[in-house]
Amino acid sequence: MALTLFANHIVKRYGGVIAVRDGSLSITSGEVVTLVGANGSGKSTLSKVITGVAAPNEGQLLLDGKEVHFASPQAAKKLGITAVYQELSLVPDMTVAENIWLSHEPLRAGLGVRGGEIRRRTRDLLALFEGTVSPRLQPDTFVNTLPPDERQIVEILKAISNQPRLVIFDEATASLDSAQVDRLFDLIGEWKRDGMAIVLITHRMEEIFRVADRVTVMRNGQTVGTVDIGATSEGEIVQMMIEGASSPGDIRMTPVEVSAPVRLEVSGLHAGRVRGVDLTLRDGELLGLGGLQGQGQTDLLLALFGALPYTGTVTLAGRRIRFRHPRDAMRSEVAFVPGDRGSEGLMLSRSILENFLLPSWRRFGLIHDVQAARGAASSAAEDLSLVYSTLDAPASSLSGGNAQKVVIGKWLLREPKLLLLNDPTKGVDVGAKGEFYALLKQLTQQGTAILFYSSDDDELLGLCNRVLVLQDGLVRDELSGDRLTRSNLVAASLGTGHGKH
Amino acid sequence: MVNTRARYFFARNTYLFSLLLLAILLSVNYSLQDNLFELRILNNSMRTLLPLIVLAVGQSVVIIGGGIDLSVGTMVSMLVAVLVKLIDAESSSTDIVLAVLAACGVGALAGTLNGVMVAVLRLQPIVTTYATSFIFSGVALVLLPRPGGQIPTELRRFYAGTPNGIPLAFYVIGILILVWMLLRSTRYAQFLFATGSNDKAAYTTGVPVKIIRLTTYIWAGVFAGLAASALTFSTGSGQANIGDNMTLDSIVAVVLGGTRLSGGKGGIAGAIIGVMILRVIRNVIFFADVPTWSQTLVNALIIIAALAGPGLVGLIRRVVNK
Amino acid sequence: MNASSDRILRVRRTLNPPLIALLLAVVLFFAGGLVKPNFVNLDQATNIVRLAAFLGIIAAGQTLVIISGGEGIDLSVGAVVTLGAMLTFRFTDGDNNLIPLGLLLACGSGLLIGLLNGLGVSLLRIPPLVMTLGMTGVVQGTVLVVTQGEMLGATPRLMAKWIASPLVLGIPGVIFIWLALGVAMWLVLNRTTYGKYLFAIGTNRTAARLSGVRVQFIVVATYMLSGLLAGFGGFILLGFSQTVFLQLGNSYLFPSIAAVVVGGTLLSGGMGSYWGTMSGALVLTLIDSLLRAMELDEAYQLIIVGIILLALISIYGRQTSLRQ
Repeated sequence: MALTLFANHIVKRYGGVIAVRDGSLSITSGEVVTLVGANGSGKSTLSKVITGVAAPNEGQLLLDGKEVHFASPQAAKKLGITAVYQELSLVPDMTVAENIWLSHEPLRAGLGVRGGEIRRRTRDLLALFEGTVSPRLQPDTFVNTLPPDERQIVEILKAISNQPRLVIFDEATASLDSAQVDRLFDLIGEWKRDGMAIVLITHRMEEIFRVADRVTVMRNGQTVGTVDIGATSEGEIVQMMIEGASSPGDIRMTPVEVSAPVRLEVSGLHAGRVRGVDLTLRDGELLGLGGLQGQGQTDLLLALFGALPYTGTVTLAGRRIRFRHPRDAMRSEVAFVPGDRGSEGLMLSRSILENFLLPSWRRFGLIHDVQAARGAASSAAEDLSLVYSTLDAPASSLSGGNAQKVVIGKWLLREPKLLLLNDPTKGVDVGAKGEFYALLKQLTQQGTAILFYSSDDDELLGLCNRVLVLQDGLVRDELSGDRLTRSNLVAASLGTGHGKH
Repeated sequence: MVNTRARYFFARNTYLFSLLLLAILLSVNYSLQDNLFELRILNNSMRTLLPLIVLAVGQSVVIIGGGIDLSVGTMVSMLVAVLVKLIDAESSSTDIVLAVLAACGVGALAGTLNGVMVAVLRLQPIVTTYATSFIFSGVALVLLPRPGGQIPTELRRFYAGTPNGIPLAFYVIGILILVWMLLRSTRYAQFLFATGSNDKAAYTTGVPVKIIRLTTYIWAGVFAGLAASALTFSTGSGQANIGDNMTLDSIVAVVLGGTRLSGGKGGIAGAIIGVMILRVIRNVIFFADVPTWSQTLVNALIIIAALAGPGLVGLIRRVVNK
Repeated sequence: MNASSDRILRVRRTLNPPLIALLLAVVLFFAGGLVKPNFVNLDQATNIVRLAAFLGIIAAGQTLVIISGGEGIDLSVGAVVTLGAMLTFRFTDGDNNLIPLGLLLACGSGLLIGLLNGLGVSLLRIPPLVMTLGMTGVVQGTVLVVTQGEMLGATPRLMAKWIASPLVLGIPGVIFIWLALGVAMWLVLNRTTYGKYLFAIGTNRTAARLSGVRVQFIVVATYMLSGLLAGFGGFILLGFSQTVFLQLGNSYLFPSIAAVVVGGTLLSGGMGSYWGTMSGALVLTLIDSLLRAMELDEAYQLIIVGIILLALISIYGRQTSLRQ
């Protein structure tokens, strides 16, 4: 059944904060529209209004020419509108099959859930991603045992299982590896031919040009324009999104001299998914970690920070160390910026001040010297050009990029000698990314050694002089100089390059 | 594949550990008390256990849905008062059935009060049900200022009966488990577990979280009505605080039975086993000639040990894996 | 964090819950004058604060445990209060010189119970509610083993004098003790590293750990403090009750939780204050005194308390909405 949807001049306020001030979007069946914009530009909120998760304050939704008001996500779902959310909507204690069919389970005589039928249909759905997921992913697997990428795939299948007319993918590719993304785009192409309407929210420029028919751009809660894909360019879209953005290519690090002292030396490290990694990192060096999602990069960083038990030898500034708790790492001037700000980096309901100072309270005395503490936090905020109302405002009041600055800032207060970064720019808008790259440059110039995992190949290519590509817990290849190219990076990620092991 | 199956089996049957524990405790009990399984003795134990079993079943539903109900005990007190008001020594069986229905109905109303406060007004369940427990206590006292009441002798005999040589309580338990198994395969159960495990995800997926939450408290009220009926039939009279102490026992029983206190995982079989464990521990202490003044302590220590069991396994696993 | 919880945070900032509770206490007090003209006078006020002080002291540890999050709650405080009072009663046996010993025993035993609670919760991962409930049985059992059913002993006279009777300007010592505790608690929560860590683990344990906070250590320390404060509460309470019975502390258990919640501390952790709890203790004590003064039937008293509690919780005890 074909569908045409117009969201016209949507306004959504949360308390006094305006999330969307004038959001518009239109889509019809058999079309793919990408919705782009910097973080906090209102893309997610607009899509939540369309799917009935959030109630708009003003504006109208026209579905097939008739105005609709969704009282709940259920109401939108009944009309064939659904979304693949960025914050996952899976129930951890239920199986893959139960999650996919939750609230539209096939029923027997109106009452009993048909368990066998659910499993069979789930197997059919899982077959869509066959080859890009591990064999562990079965209908009866519990969702809480799955890695993020497979959870995301379950989330996608869940949205599709209801045979919707319109699906919104809210950054659904962010945690997928490139093989999975390729498969997803193949499927999107098929679904589009079958007459599905698809809205794709993404930060990756390359994806926009891969599948979209039209691009709708949002800025500061406002829809600033919609262009046909054939009539636009990457540059024009970026221009629409934000002015004066800096791409990582602008900031090349100067290569570190081989004479700089070695900060970190790792050999034969096993931890979680890591199955024997060796690496050397010098002061002032920015060493990249690449590869597909979930190849052990995060576990490697966690182990080095003492947050994950490991075996193997780690030498820090010439001293053998064995961290048992992040606290030990902190004391050895190591810092770690986690990948998920909300769940690992911040105390959202506590003040910005407390977030900044959490690792540093001890230095303000047995009974804290409040003036000194406040001074330290506000100078850190100033150094990072943080945009905030007051230091006492909760961290939840910060936008994505600014929130990430606080996560980094709390470690900069301790002046770390080794900084571990776990995909720090994930979900950060273009402008904030530029500032972040400049900060990394400044830190390396001061001699900080940085181990930097990024899921964004452009960042690794633009920022690093040397990149270790991990695959299946091993260093598949070490790329530097002329060999540090996109094709080598991709080849090594997929394990086709000539590896070291 | 085998791993997935095994995982599925253990995650779905959360009561297995407690069943093992019950078996061990029962064999200890049997070695100390060889008439444990004689029909008369067994029937006596089961008859006095049934009210708490039924109450704990209601509590499990609330806990699985992500809540907790601290008012179920005082609710039982209130509903016993209702029953005592409606039944006397001459009541016909129709009167009694109507009285039981009335108790369940009032229980459902009381549960609705809790449910509306928690699910619709979104108040914190612990303090909310603590507050409503005052109201139920008060109503119990208004209805039954002095202990009293009488029930027909035939009713008492029926409740103490052993049809086909099996204590009545086992029939009730059988029905409860059967109903639960049927319920488990419905959409309602999917919604219940989803709500308890992650209410945000459930809501986003279209689960009517508020309604599901509300119904869990109503269930607790209805089961409090059944528990009050069993209690009244067993004791033959009532007093205004007769059920007050059952609340905390019902929670401990649910947790002992392997249901997760924070919701989303468990079942009613665990609650039934949990109540039995509590009772068998007491039996063992009694028959092991533990000095009177030490019984409370020993009882509490065994309960803590039982609660610690699964955690201890996890701790050992964590230490070994390090 | 979604915007609706943001909104709740904002509401909490503008409508400061402890302040509301305090205002409510004042209003209730004067409302008492309407019900019973001789309710409003200085003696009565002093008496109410004195009664509130016992609840307030006993609820101090509860405040810490609830702020620590992770479904933190301490149901053993009632039993520990009884234990602390009993140990003091028995081992001082009325001898003023042995008061320090009583204090040491009361606090030390509480600390030990708290340690066990903390270990059960953190190492064995037993839900706090059932762990501390189980410990209640252990503590009561211990009291029975020690006393063998006979509450032997006596209350030192000095304790009764310093704690419950007017000390300076007609104000009993317990009020000064309570105020001192209030200042100490404020310092601990707002000006020490422990306090910052406590709020951190109550808000986000993963983020706290990745910022170098030893979460398990703080959890254990918090239950220990709760036990210590409950034991201390028992010691103080003895000065007032001057006698010990098995259920002495029980009547303070749920009121201690209610005081914390009425004072605006979030049961889910990470947000709260002790002066809120102090206001909450005042409100609860006032409601109780007021209903007593009205000489209502016990049944109707219970119903009214229930309704008032519900009303208090609904002012600001609301959790975030799922719909945005």
